[in-house]
Amino acid sequence: MLLEILLAVVLGAIIYLMLIKKNEETPAEMGDGWWSKGLKPDSEEDATIRPFKVETSEADINYLHRRLEEVRYTEPLEDSCFHYGFNVTYLKKIVSYWRNQFDWKKQVEVLNKFPQFKTKIEGIDVHFLHVKPSQLGEGQSAKPLLLVHGWPGSVYEFYKIIPLLTDPARHGLNSNLVFEVICPSIPGYGFSEAPHKKGFNSVCAAHVFSKLMLRLGFHEYYIQGGDWGSAICTNLAQIAPSHVKGLHINMPFVNSMGIKEFLSILLGPYFPRLFGFQPEDIRGMFPFKTKILKTLLMESGYFHLQSTKPDTAGCALNDSPVGLAAYILEKFSTWTDISFQHLEDGGLEKKFTLDDLLTNVMIYWVSGCMVSSMRFYKENVGMLFTKNKYAELPVKVPTGIALFPHEVTYFPRSWVEKMHVNIISFNHMPRGGHFAAFEEPELLAADIQQFVEKVEKGNTSK
Amino acid sequence: MWQDILQSVRSYDVPQRNVIVASCALGGGGLLVFWLLTRQRKRTIEMGEGWWGFGEKSSNNEDESIRPFEVKTSEKEIQDLYQRLDLARYTPPLEGAAFHYGFNSNYLQKVVSYWRNQFDWNKQVDILNQYPHFKTTIEGIEIHFIHVKPTHIPSGQTPRPLLMVHGWPGSFYEFYKIIPLLTNPVGSGSSGENLVFEVICPSIPGYGFSEAPHKQGFDMTAAARIFHKLMHRLGFQEYYLQGGDWGSGITTHMAQMLPKSVKGLHLNMVFLSKFSCSDLISLLLGAYVPWLVGLTREDSRRLFPYFKTQVSFTLRESGYMHIQATKPDTAGCGLNNCPVGLAAYILEKFSTWTDKSFPNLDDGGLERKYSLDDLLTNVMIYWVTGSIVTSMRFYKENLSKNPSTTPSGRTAVYVPTGVTAFPDELLHAPPSWVKRKFKNLVTYSYMPRGGHFPAFEEPQLLAQDFKQFIRKVEHL
Repeated sequence: MLLEILLAVVLGAIIYLMLIKKNEETPAEMGDGWWSKGLKPDSEEDATIRPFKVETSEADINYLHRRLEEVRYTEPLEDSCFHYGFNVTYLKKIVSYWRNQFDWKKQVEVLNKFPQFKTKIEGIDVHFLHVKPSQLGEGQSAKPLLLVHGWPGSVYEFYKIIPLLTDPARHGLNSNLVFEVICPSIPGYGFSEAPHKKGFNSVCAAHVFSKLMLRLGFHEYYIQGGDWGSAICTNLAQIAPSHVKGLHINMPFVNSMGIKEFLSILLGPYFPRLFGFQPEDIRGMFPFKTKILKTLLMESGYFHLQSTKPDTAGCALNDSPVGLAAYILEKFSTWTDISFQHLEDGGLEKKFTLDDLLTNVMIYWVSGCMVSSMRFYKENVGMLFTKNKYAELPVKVPTGIALFPHEVTYFPRSWVEKMHVNIISFNHMPRGGHFAAFEEPELLAADIQQFVEKVEKGNTSK
Repeated sequence: MWQDILQSVRSYDVPQRNVIVASCALGGGGLLVFWLLTRQRKRTIEMGEGWWGFGEKSSNNEDESIRPFEVKTSEKEIQDLYQRLDLARYTPPLEGAAFHYGFNSNYLQKVVSYWRNQFDWNKQVDILNQYPHFKTTIEGIEIHFIHVKPTHIPSGQTPRPLLMVHGWPGSFYEFYKIIPLLTNPVGSGSSGENLVFEVICPSIPGYGFSEAPHKQGFDMTAAARIFHKLMHRLGFQEYYLQGGDWGSGITTHMAQMLPKSVKGLHLNMVFLSKFSCSDLISLLLGAYVPWLVGLTREDSRRLFPYFKTQVSFTLRESGYMHIQATKPDTAGCGLNNCPVGLAAYILEKFSTWTDKSFPNLDDGGLERKYSLDDLLTNVMIYWVTGSIVTSMRFYKENLSKNPSTTPSGRTAVYVPTGVTAFPDELLHAPPSWVKRKFKNLVTYSYMPRGGHFPAFEEPQLLAQDFKQFIRKVEHL
């Protein structure tokens, strides 16, 4: 009952907040933040871009191995699969692989195959990959593309898709569309420094990234993201529309729900056309109670905890690599396919290799960023209650949306269109879940390309 | 007036009169049927049965012996703890965050430093062992409990058996200060006292030194049944019950299951599973006309402004409950391997649930009401038994179903009940709401101070209220 009251209250709060009239006028240019310790100094910020390499040492590896050996496991309940969370029987297998076969030194070399840099923006060091195409055709120029990851992911999610974007010809994709990829770590994640002050939300991250692109010399660029990356890129399109040629997202958000949306939940299955629902929408959303509400309730415990007590939630995870792996990899199971929770091994190795999964976990482990990554949830949920004028603006830049069938949330086009008023590409993908770039890089790359092609055609025809 | 109505009805023609009579009969009959169906016909809930050991239940009779137990530790255990404390990796808090983002890691480092350098686990183990501990196997799992008999029984008195049940993230240790006030009142300074109790304090299966169930489905009903079996095995047929948090839910189930064994039920936190339209109306009107909707001035003070106090507080504080009720094995994994993280997770509750204003303090106000020795002893119970994951599973087993449709949710409680309402308890349940479920509410007390862990924080107040409840039940 408490959970139902909670849900009713949360829905009520959202209804109340979303129905508040939006301010239509364009707000003033967003000011700079300052995220370092203490007060901002008067001197100019050091804008140098310094090369960076991921490093490791015997000491790091030995420490990790020791922690992996000292684990205290709790036996799972009989026949519980992944219903109670990460199954310890399978976790033991992962830890054994991690201790005995996983080669972190080799993975560090894999990480370093793309050039990486750091630069100080608004007081904190921002880490990013900058990958230029190896070859360009006659008269061809590479289109700058900013890729933004989410939680519990990292820049490593993009390691398979980057070659498809910077060297499409070699991978059987459209050779006319070549990209120069910039892939930052969100401040507080991976090798980017964490903000030291409260209030660093997705709009602030968007502002930092817009400064990064300008510092790199890009005045017009494309942006792509899923999870928090989707929110940050959307915010970037809202605060700097003149710089964003196109926005591509694989997990759309909705920033307001009105009477029409609520009515569509009640009446949508009976009058789909009235509410602009496609057959895929009906399949994806109804029956609403089981497909959306129950799933939301069952899967959002982490969200609830991290949006309220990130420092508590992340404390042990920063200190226990096995706990960290269980927490993160549970998401790579359920958010790839929700039916995987009925499997004893959570279906993890159906779509990912242990090397790839553990490399992502290692990024959180070696950088010790779990707590700061969780704080992003609290800062962003705070926006729901204090209202951010930038986040309320309609998104006017050309937008492309790729909906993957096993994504955790489902928003129909008719809802998404309220905020994204210039959707020029909206595709339902044949397979894949939340970590699209990691799991189905070819599908995602192809969709990005066709979207950019549409934008470029639209521009040249003007 | 009735005469006029009857006259006008009689004046109608027969067919019309028939219609009127028929519809009245139908309406009246319908109401009667409705009333019969909706009133709670059953006054008890089923006891059911269970088996929580490994594999199939063996055909042999269960070993019912009650074996003495002693908490033990070793150098190895302590060294392992110290190593983990020394290697802990902290994330500095945000500027000005106090406890608003969770446990402040600057203060956490102070707590850990005390834990590493001053806290004496050997000494605390001796303190734990000051009361006699036992274990016995029930439904396939070992149940741990302490059994404290009064040191001195006033002449002509028999000590009253009392079962006290803890909650999460507490343990039987929460009762160590209140037990002497109940078993040895004169020795503890209460003069003229003639109420003496024999206290049994079990660990809920999956918590502390009780074995964890190996099968799915171990909920409050199962715990209630096991504790009844425990009391009967100890030779008690009638006893009192006291509890808060899960202890409140479990003892309530016990009262519904076997009311003839429960002489009285005393709760310091009430689970109300039904939230009806009339409650909503009470909430809407209660701020303005509390007397009209059965709320007292004190209720008003504690409930309103409803959204700000109860609802936003609940949303902010229930993240742990949400994750534990859905993914307990994931949530507890890291905690079982990192004593510092475990301490942060548990002690955050001892801060916020003791006083709602404590999150504004850099140290969470923890040492205002508790000593670090006491707080860390409770944490150590979770650490040395490795029971954090199994303790969290209890949330999933109980909260996966809609509490208002379970047998317990649909059944009232008829045993004499006493409720204490502490001002900083998580949720305030006004007496008018409590009475809907607890039909025999003998005492309801608004306490002057205290929060969610009253036995730990305000043992005198709780003991006092408990005794005045007993006196009322026994007409003393």
